[in-house]
Amino acid sequence: MKLIRLLHEILREIFEESAYERFCARQGVPPGAPSYASFLRESGTGTRPKVKCC
Amino acid sequence: MNSILRFLLWFVIALLGGLAFGTIALHRGEQINALWLVAAAVCTYALGYRFYSKFIAAKVLALDPQRATPAERLENGRDFVPTNKWVVFGHHFAAIAGPGPLVGPVLAAQFGYLPGTLWILVGAVFGGCVQDFVILLFSVRRDGKSLTEMAKDEIGRVGGFVAYASVIAILVILLAVCALIVVNALKQSPWGAFTITMTIPIALLMGVYLRRLRPGRVLETSAIGFVLVLLAIWGGQWASQTPAVAKYFTLTAPALAIAIILYGFAASALPVWLLLAPRDYLSTFVKLGTIGLLAIGIVLMHPTLHMPPLTRFIDGTGPIFAGKIFPFAFITIACGAISGFHSLISSGTTPKLIRRETEIRMVGYGAMLCESMVAIMATVAACVLEPGTYFAINSPAGIVGQAADKAVGVISGWGFPVTASGMQALAQSVGEQTLFNRTGGAPAFAVGMAHIFSNSLGGQAVMALWYHFALMFEALFILTVLDAGTRVGRFMIQDALGHIWKPLGRTSWYPSIVTTSAIIVAAWGYFLWQGVRDPLGGINSLWPLFGIANQLLAAVALCVATTIIIKMHRAKYALVTLAPLTWLVIVTFTASWHKIADSDPRIGFLAQARQLAAAGGNPRLIFNNRLDAVVTGILIALVSLLLIESLRHWTGLLSGKRTAQTSEAPSIPTRLAEERV
Repeated sequence: MKLIRLLHEILREIFEESAYERFCARQGVPPGAPSYASFLRESGTGTRPKVKCC
Repeated sequence: MNSILRFLLWFVIALLGGLAFGTIALHRGEQINALWLVAAAVCTYALGYRFYSKFIAAKVLALDPQRATPAERLENGRDFVPTNKWVVFGHHFAAIAGPGPLVGPVLAAQFGYLPGTLWILVGAVFGGCVQDFVILLFSVRRDGKSLTEMAKDEIGRVGGFVAYASVIAILVILLAVCALIVVNALKQSPWGAFTITMTIPIALLMGVYLRRLRPGRVLETSAIGFVLVLLAIWGGQWASQTPAVAKYFTLTAPALAIAIILYGFAASALPVWLLLAPRDYLSTFVKLGTIGLLAIGIVLMHPTLHMPPLTRFIDGTGPIFAGKIFPFAFITIACGAISGFHSLISSGTTPKLIRRETEIRMVGYGAMLCESMVAIMATVAACVLEPGTYFAINSPAGIVGQAADKAVGVISGWGFPVTASGMQALAQSVGEQTLFNRTGGAPAFAVGMAHIFSNSLGGQAVMALWYHFALMFEALFILTVLDAGTRVGRFMIQDALGHIWKPLGRTSWYPSIVTTSAIIVAAWGYFLWQGVRDPLGGINSLWPLFGIANQLLAAVALCVATTIIIKMHRAKYALVTLAPLTWLVIVTFTASWHKIADSDPRIGFLAQARQLAAAGGNPRLIFNNRLDAVVTGILIALVSLLLIESLRHWTGLLSGKRTAQTSEAPSIPTRLAEERV
């Protein structure tokens, strides 16, 4: 169970779900389309992609 | 566990590793099981991690568990976030594992399974893992600075300029070679082309779903995208069997190249959330799942390797790429052994997430070991094929001829029997019209992977589905690198041009977006076009160029690391980075010399240009060869400049003429409690 939770946490971090959750908590905004748009703007996900290796 | 038991455990691991190495290295004339490669790899990694990385952590880097990391000191909930070590590990691995460790080992298998396997294991333990580990720590101790910033701070402006130029050069060549692999995998393949084309509307749909319908639900969206991709693979079979549809997806290499160039331009200019980010999520989802599945498949099926340990092509006459085992095996496999590109990830997002210095060993060294394992699995996938089949798929028409009868004659003449009817049956079983001349490594890997998967699950009846799943997985992977890389390149050019004229540096100014997107796409598009038009298949010239550029970037990273180690007054341990640096300099400089000046026209760019000129060949091909020689020469000149500058620094520091000034952030004690997970 602990392992599944950990794997889920890893996937949530890789897929930036945790980052979005932190954003909502920090800004005190509810999850939704406007806050997600702001998150993408702030995190750079909406503009700058992360470097991926070959 | 008491010390005697611990000693016994490590003794048994060492013994098993030695036995596995002995088996893979000394067996001649009889086939071995792939599990020997896996055993050698797992034992080597275990020993490397337990002993070598521990030595580096304790003696060379002196990791300090009490020192606060930038994730703690600069925590902002955005870039700097103290994160669970396993989460950072997964994040880092997902970023470093790309198509490189899958393609390089497949191409290098032309030498046999032994050279590639040895280089992957030794290169990773003593080179790649060390590079990723030290660069990650040095970036953490410098508030998450990038490699180019560290090069500028520690070696001076020359270091910064060389690092920047190397990154741009490697990016352009990498993107061209990635695009070429996709072109070669999808040409004349309506099933594959249909599936990959469908991933574009799927990604757009995911983008809209994520943004409008279920904001932030990335895992859920990726799972839906994955199901849609599976449907697209299934639909691809229908498309390939329906002539009215198949004709639109049966594309020539030049047509595919133009489509990919246009796609690259669009992906660079469109909003990231719409196409690029969802495709990236989808690719990561498929990547992690497929790598896990492949590992399980290899263990369950434990296939026999049909490729001999060494082939006749160690003499440099290989059909896939020309050049002797030294230095070409070592530049053909970069990712999986040592990849300079990793230093960009290790000095990018990852250092900003590290919670405690001691966790860097697991993330930096450990994640690279996992990528090295992926490269071993790719070697297995290539070597389970009959050598005749492997060479028939990977050899360009310029070497073996266009006609099936002629190709099998040439390949069988090398001592690797293959028949036209056998190849036709194989092509039919995977749903392709032909598998001859499918250079680039991806189709051979897909056939090997389909062979492993279909024997573990579903049998021969689903071979075609597995093959196209493998092809989709690779192409999706590669296109993600292509669109993200194009965009990253665009930002780098905008940053540079912004120094000349400010508006060009504005990332949201449309004329700047279009201009810089066009520059980066034109740069890699030119090399792609050159590869598509190359009678030797393109991979022969572009993959070594990419390998050289990537390894030279690793040399830049190791120069920076050695400089910092000397500045830390740990010069007696500098061999840890100096040894792989020396090896890379020897390998890349030798390979570059061969690629520029070798008298064999299949190896030397200038010799090929001369041969073409003498025969009154195409002026464009002559120019391309000269251009490749110039690009290789520029890369070598840049790194030579950095080496001279670094040597000047090192001698100054060691003789006491220069003071050891580092840009390290001050040490502050951590307030975070010890992590339990």
